[in-house]
Amino acid sequence: MAKATGNIGVSRREFGLLAGAAGLSFGLMPGFAGRVLAQDAESAASVIQGKSGEMLIHNAKLGVMETPISLLRQHAHTPKEILFNRLHFPPEGSSAWQATTSAPGREDWVLRVDGLVQRPREVSLADLKAMAQEKRVAVMQCAGNGRSFYAAKQKVAGGQWKNGGMGNVEWEGVPLRAFLEAMKLGPSDQATWLTAGGWDQPPTPEGSDFAKSYRIDDAALDNAIIALKMNGAPIPAVHGGPVRLIIPGYYGNMNVKFLTTLLFDAAQSPSAYQSMGYRVPLNPVEPGEFGRNDYTLENSAPTYAHKIKSVIFSPLPEDNPKSGAVTVTGVAFNDGTSPITKVEVSTDGGATWAEADIAPPESPWAWYHWSAQGTLSSGTNVLMSRATDALGNTQPIDGLSRWNPRGYEWNGVEHLEVATA
Amino acid sequence: MFRLPVLLLPAVALVCAADVAGAADIELPPGPHRDLVYGQCRTCHDLQYLVDSAGITRDDWDAVLNDMRQYGLRIPPEQRADILDYLGTYLGPEPPPASEVAEAAPADGAAVYAEQCTACHQADGSGVPGQFPPLAGNPDLFLDRLFPVQVVLNGIEGPVEVAGTTYDSVMPPFDHLSDAAIAAVINHVRSSWGNEGQGVEPLTPADVASVREKPLTPEQVHARRAELQ
Repeated sequence: MAKATGNIGVSRREFGLLAGAAGLSFGLMPGFAGRVLAQDAESAASVIQGKSGEMLIHNAKLGVMETPISLLRQHAHTPKEILFNRLHFPPEGSSAWQATTSAPGREDWVLRVDGLVQRPREVSLADLKAMAQEKRVAVMQCAGNGRSFYAAKQKVAGGQWKNGGMGNVEWEGVPLRAFLEAMKLGPSDQATWLTAGGWDQPPTPEGSDFAKSYRIDDAALDNAIIALKMNGAPIPAVHGGPVRLIIPGYYGNMNVKFLTTLLFDAAQSPSAYQSMGYRVPLNPVEPGEFGRNDYTLENSAPTYAHKIKSVIFSPLPEDNPKSGAVTVTGVAFNDGTSPITKVEVSTDGGATWAEADIAPPESPWAWYHWSAQGTLSSGTNVLMSRATDALGNTQPIDGLSRWNPRGYEWNGVEHLEVATA
Repeated sequence: MFRLPVLLLPAVALVCAADVAGAADIELPPGPHRDLVYGQCRTCHDLQYLVDSAGITRDDWDAVLNDMRQYGLRIPPEQRADILDYLGTYLGPEPPPASEVAEAAPADGAAVYAEQCTACHQADGSGVPGQFPPLAGNPDLFLDRLFPVQVVLNGIEGPVEVAGTTYDSVMPPFDHLSDAAIAAVINHVRSSWGNEGQGVEPLTPADVASVREKPLTPEQVHARRAELQ
């Protein structure tokens, strides 16, 4: 089966050709494949310099935007011009340098490794560049991706993300475990948490700083890298350059941008972004019974690992498909701990299902392309897709069963209404 | 059924079309204390989050305001109550029909300042170093009699240096305020915190109306500043 996703290192022009060839099997629409990104990028580009004007903006001041699926499906690795974005603080004031997809000119960058260790260290960007680097292709996805779908049960405050808060991205950097080992820090036995902090600061002094904490023995950290490159180039400023922590398989917020500190600690960070925001209840909750302010460290967990998910790439409503036989394509991904073994597709609202062909992924954390045959009736059709992995993790038929007051981790079976031309 | 007030729709469309100042142009339905929302909520994010969240319950808005305190919002309890009343009503599940009647803004300069300006410039006009320029001792206030009116009405975008510190924030337009309110608040700022005694004739609502007739982009206001310096 043709596979456009395995060609690390090809230029975008070359990829366009490959994608065109792959288009028939994976729906990377041949007509779109060689298309250049929008040139007159006024809207998103005025928010974040270098972003495509076709991005869907959720909050201009914070540079929050998602990618239309029609753009997302054109690329094996999501380019910086269309990768979704979310900043927590306005890229203004002293943070104004972040409002661009260009590489930040921050060669003076220093990463401090500190906390409950015998020998704290400061490591320069030059030092990091000189260390052995590894690549990770991984889905980067906002924890709020799909939040808008929860509104069918009860609307949740915040950016109303559809499916475009995700991308498939190649990162490159210094493996975290090897780095920490080489630093000979001498961590205390009391240090059970690792907290990552970024350079960015809240606009008002009273605001909570952004930080994320992980159990030091978290197996996901075995694959983490201190990334210096994204898609083969220095990480764009707006995507967290010059240094970003990448934990493959973890939701976007866990991949701390503008990384300046790694702290060994006996407890997790008191940051509101760790203790309050970006959390999901451990048990199912209902609107009206459990609210935004009811989260505790005990009854909820941070949005760590991606829940298994699939998204339909074609046909989209704007493709104006004809009735009759149709090839349905899309992607699926999980947290990378077990392979995705099955994607089921329905073109009749779940009455009948076909099993899709699945192409091998570039890495355990990358997205899998899949393709299935179906039939479109004249009129409106409800397309559905459902991914399952080798551990039996699958997408709930009713995604609303995982409704939560902050609207995270949507992974309900994909529903897409498509009317035939 | 939840329906957005008609007034909201053009504003949302504008964001999608998104000209440069699009985000700043998001308009909320008129109602009591709307201007307080404009004054307090745009320091950290623009109003699209509010528009996109419209329809949630009053209790949910209450919980959102609790969140915002953690994220840095510091407002007196009475302002919080007023904001909650506005959000729970006009961005709640059953908003009243859009009203043509805009509220009469208080023309007391100190009151306008407390509702509209303190979130960034602080109650004592000291600003936040590196983020929001001070108004106390800020010579921009006296570059020209009408220049501050241009800033308040249109916003300003571009790096400015004040007292040796560079600021590169985006000030949104405050054109939701009445002519009288803008005149009053600038007169207040020009006569507070050591700014007094510069001999500038106080602004009148008619002065503000004349500036309002000639809208500028925030970048043009920045260029205007350079011309005057």
